[in-house]
Amino acid sequence: MKVAEDYVIEMLHITKEFPGIKANDDITLQLKRGEIHALLGENGAGKSTLMSVLFGLYQADQGIIKKDGKEVKIKDPNDANRLGIGMVHQHFKLVECFTVLDNIILGVEDTKHGFLQKEAASKKVMQLSEKYGLKVEPDSFVSDISVGMQQRVEILKMLYRDNEILIFDEPTAVLTPQEITELMEIMRGFKKEGKSILFITHKLSEIMAVADRCSVLRKGKYMGTVNIADTTREELSRMMVGREVEFDIKKKSQEVGDVILSVKDMVVASKAHNNNAVKGVSFEVHAGEIVCIAGIEGNGQTELVQGITGLEPLKSGSIELCGKDITNASIRERSKAGMSHIPEDRHKHGLVLDYTLEQNLVLQRYWEPRFQNHGVIKSMEVRNYAEMLIEKYDVRSGQGPVTTARSMSGGNQQKAIIAREIDKDPQLLVAVQPTRGLDVGAIEYIHSQLIAERDKGRAVLLISLELDEVRSLSDRILVIYEGEIVGDFDSVAMEELGLYMAGAKRKDKKEAAS
Amino acid sequence: MNILANIISLTVVFAVPLMLVALGGMYSEHSGVINLALEGIMVIGALCACFTLQAFDKNGFGPAHPQLSMLIATLVAAVTGMIFSLFLAFAAINLKADQTIGGTALNTFAPAFAVVVTWAVQGQGLTTIQIPSWIRITQENFGLEPGKGFLDMLIFKYFYLTTPIAIILFFAAWILMYKTRFGLRLRACGEHPQAADSVGINVYRMRYAGVLISGVLGGIGGIAYTIAVGSGFSSSVGGYGFLALAVMIFGNWKPVQIMGSAVFFALFKVIAAYNQSIPFLPKFEGMKDQSSLYQMLPYIVTMIVLIFTSKHSQAPKAEGIPYDKGSR
Amino acid sequence: MKDRKALAENQMFVAILASVASIAIGLIFGSILLLILNPSKAGLGISAILTTGFSSLDQFGKVLYQSAPLMLCGLSVGFAFKTGMFNIGATGQYTIGAFCALVGAIAFQLPWWMCLLLSFVGGAVWGVFPGLFKALFNVNEVITSIMFNWIGMYLVNLLLANMPIMLASAWGASNSDRTANLAQANPGAMIPKGGLDRLFGDSSWINISVFIAIIVAVICWFILEKTTFGYELKACGYNKDSARYAGINANRNIISSMIIAGALSGLGGGLYYLAGTIQYVLEKKTLAMGFNGIPVALLANSNPIGTIFSSLFISYIQVGGSAMQPNFSSESTDIIIAVIIYLAAFALLIRGFITKLLKGGQKEEVKE
Repeated sequence: MKVAEDYVIEMLHITKEFPGIKANDDITLQLKRGEIHALLGENGAGKSTLMSVLFGLYQADQGIIKKDGKEVKIKDPNDANRLGIGMVHQHFKLVECFTVLDNIILGVEDTKHGFLQKEAASKKVMQLSEKYGLKVEPDSFVSDISVGMQQRVEILKMLYRDNEILIFDEPTAVLTPQEITELMEIMRGFKKEGKSILFITHKLSEIMAVADRCSVLRKGKYMGTVNIADTTREELSRMMVGREVEFDIKKKSQEVGDVILSVKDMVVASKAHNNNAVKGVSFEVHAGEIVCIAGIEGNGQTELVQGITGLEPLKSGSIELCGKDITNASIRERSKAGMSHIPEDRHKHGLVLDYTLEQNLVLQRYWEPRFQNHGVIKSMEVRNYAEMLIEKYDVRSGQGPVTTARSMSGGNQQKAIIAREIDKDPQLLVAVQPTRGLDVGAIEYIHSQLIAERDKGRAVLLISLELDEVRSLSDRILVIYEGEIVGDFDSVAMEELGLYMAGAKRKDKKEAAS
Repeated sequence: MNILANIISLTVVFAVPLMLVALGGMYSEHSGVINLALEGIMVIGALCACFTLQAFDKNGFGPAHPQLSMLIATLVAAVTGMIFSLFLAFAAINLKADQTIGGTALNTFAPAFAVVVTWAVQGQGLTTIQIPSWIRITQENFGLEPGKGFLDMLIFKYFYLTTPIAIILFFAAWILMYKTRFGLRLRACGEHPQAADSVGINVYRMRYAGVLISGVLGGIGGIAYTIAVGSGFSSSVGGYGFLALAVMIFGNWKPVQIMGSAVFFALFKVIAAYNQSIPFLPKFEGMKDQSSLYQMLPYIVTMIVLIFTSKHSQAPKAEGIPYDKGSR
Repeated sequence: MKDRKALAENQMFVAILASVASIAIGLIFGSILLLILNPSKAGLGISAILTTGFSSLDQFGKVLYQSAPLMLCGLSVGFAFKTGMFNIGATGQYTIGAFCALVGAIAFQLPWWMCLLLSFVGGAVWGVFPGLFKALFNVNEVITSIMFNWIGMYLVNLLLANMPIMLASAWGASNSDRTANLAQANPGAMIPKGGLDRLFGDSSWINISVFIAIIVAVICWFILEKTTFGYELKACGYNKDSARYAGINANRNIISSMIIAGALSGLGGGLYYLAGTIQYVLEKKTLAMGFNGIPVALLANSNPIGTIFSSLFISYIQVGGSAMQPNFSSESTDIIIAVIIYLAAFALLIRGFITKLLKGGQKEEVKE
């Protein structure tokens, strides 16, 4: 007879639907007491939704949750907390203008005669901090501390609540390699204490390093659970993406042309902290090549792009486009000089969601004589142009050119942006995470468009967090780490690229050139 | 000397409604709701309190127990202000409405309602509700001889129950915001409602609390304003609700600074209203209607102050944004 | 059945339906209030609101006359809305516009169209401040607007008091609390009646101002819908970040839209006081006209063409409101207006509800 497994949490046949998508489709997840259980899946696989159900932020449409074998209802985070479930969210839930201590006690404050009792709380926080090696400054304001310390605050929030089941939602995305190593150590420490850990990630190496078991999700469906000791990276990645990871893109080799974009010693200030986000970066992009900036999120990519496209001013350094100095040029002037920009956030920047599709398709060109005459828009011309783009780039929508952009699917919104930016016939195309959150079909289409631009002899600067994308598209890879370019490769092995991205290795420019 | 005493005591009596209402705005905005309706809330509070005082005056209870009557009238103002603010809370929190437009609706409603009701109750054309004179706290209340000395003028010339109430509410605000669980949670809702929600705080309930407290303070501020003006209630609080918002912004959403800026603005208001009887103010020879010039002053000062403070404003980050549990 | 679904998807239709619904709710609420306050006279009051505007040609002339400044204030508020700004300062801009027009008319003896031009410029100047302060110093435009309403009012009072020629007392009348009667001071500054007075039974109210306002409304519609300038303004209003991404200077657009909004309100002030029927009274209260531009714009969903109709409606119930006296105060109409504004605050919700209702009805039919 087999002894019943000691499951501390069981999520059985969970289904959660949002308008338009089934985020979780009959998913089962069983967490053993005292294990580190990884939850693996690509972006949009349904990991965060599943965890939100467990934490009480969403209610499942179907399925049950069991704690220690007994069915429980988790209606809100308070219920979760009572059951000993805590969560470190991917985007930290910290009040910036509060102190670290205030953030930790928020929601479970001790009071005496109605007054907050902070001393005892402070003592408890310091004890926990020492016990688990989570260094924090209780009286500092959250806005003043590093991202790493903010995460430690989030972890302390769980410990302060005596949580036994700890959920980490993509905790390493924003951390430096040292911090990641520390975090792994801390997680092992928790395991030793008998706490159970759910670790959400899409990074295989982290799972191999720290997890005991791993459950895999793909497009909202449960793919199975494996013991880490009995599996390989290859098997995990097959489960995660459903095919061999190395998807080949046919790319003809070609000679690179003239320098199109030249960035020299660029420095851009950070909005989040007082340090510079981009620290003296120099590189060139030639006609007919795709140069990819690879790196972990938050290493200055956003600010680098803002500096190049003119959304943020440079602190120092210079930019040339086709030999013309555009360091102080306005966004419009850069656009006229031949720069196109597929932005990171299509809702915030890329589209005016309440405008129609046709209005969005001329967003970068409405001022051209072709579309206006003495300030009066030529409606027919706009309509014809929009219909042409819709046809050519296969942008699908309910009512054609007059569809409100908001009502379109994410993939078609992105296609509209790409149609607009590519059809401008730019010398340089800056594409920032152009495939984020899209399905495979849309991804392949966008990749082929980028390649086509390259083959036409355009310069493409691609900023991506996805290593597969970086490897399969780029002619040259620049690795950015903490605001600096630490590596410059024509081709590179995956593992080595990872080391550079993690800041564990770097080669200076001379080496790169040789 | 007596003029100085006069100015100081007038400043205090005008600072009281400004501070109360600005504190009200502070509670609401720290919970995440912009309360543009303070002007309307003041009108409703003042209207109901004035009717209460009038009723007490007629039935003889008022002259017999003046301060008890005043206390009841103040409570009426607080409760009616709170009830009126429910409309804003409901629109802003449950219906996720545009808070500015919702506030404007209440501001349009309140004075119209006040006129219509006053008209209906007092008869046509009688649009001013008189305030009985017995509400003032005099020397006799403390068993003192009436006098005309400096201290008499300073303390008793414009001494009403609303002043001690305002002082108590000020200290209460400071303690509540920074020393209690409620204040911590309220501020969290205005700064980062998702964070508050994730630690199990009911954001909707806290926002209701913030708006309703602002209704209470706005209502009391309404009657305090009417008393300060002294010429009865004619369905208006003279833009004090809006001025209080400026006081709140200038006070950086913090009680102590709000009190300071309320006194500052009140001083300008007093100078504006009593410029003729203040000897050391410049008199412009040949200029007619100087009072208009002085009455412009508080608003111009407000603008200048806002220009210098708004760049570094510490407004609650989530104010004005409806909280939707679904979207995170 | 298909028609119904098409209607549900026609945003314009749904918006109009939502406005009609909120008008109905406002009227019902107002009626209930009147019933509570004075049951015996409530019937008279309600019928006064609903019928006075059409009761005589003279009254209808008044509806048209008052709708012109309302229309312009509504256009002003709506124009600012399109750029994402809340112009609660229409009343201040309106006051300054009226002042400039009257100075042109009385002190400088200019013809009416030059006076209107002055009011346009005056309002524009007053509209500069909220936009400029928002763009340069990040001061909330609502606060700036409110402060400049008061500053404008006191400034006008101060200036008028110190310009004796402007006052009625300088032109043969005894009162110095108001501006001169234009019929005595400068008949040439009065907006021409264009023969409409004969059409409207010698109504003292009517003149061509309502047509001027309608022309301005059409121009506004053209600017917003058909020009690159309007395209930029609306892009800023919908999404400031993507406007910036597209190389549009958001600050410049905020300032220009507020200047135009101010100019529109100012012109409204000119149209109202240059009719000659009403003199500007030096009061210590901000004028209601500008504030009433808010419900006009909200009812019209900020659409300039819709503003023509919503201003006619608001004007109509206001004329009705003043006929309610002495049974009820004329402010009763403001209560109805307040309810309409309140409902407009969650207009999206109401529109969603109407869409659902239309579609829901269709579903039921399918089942049958």
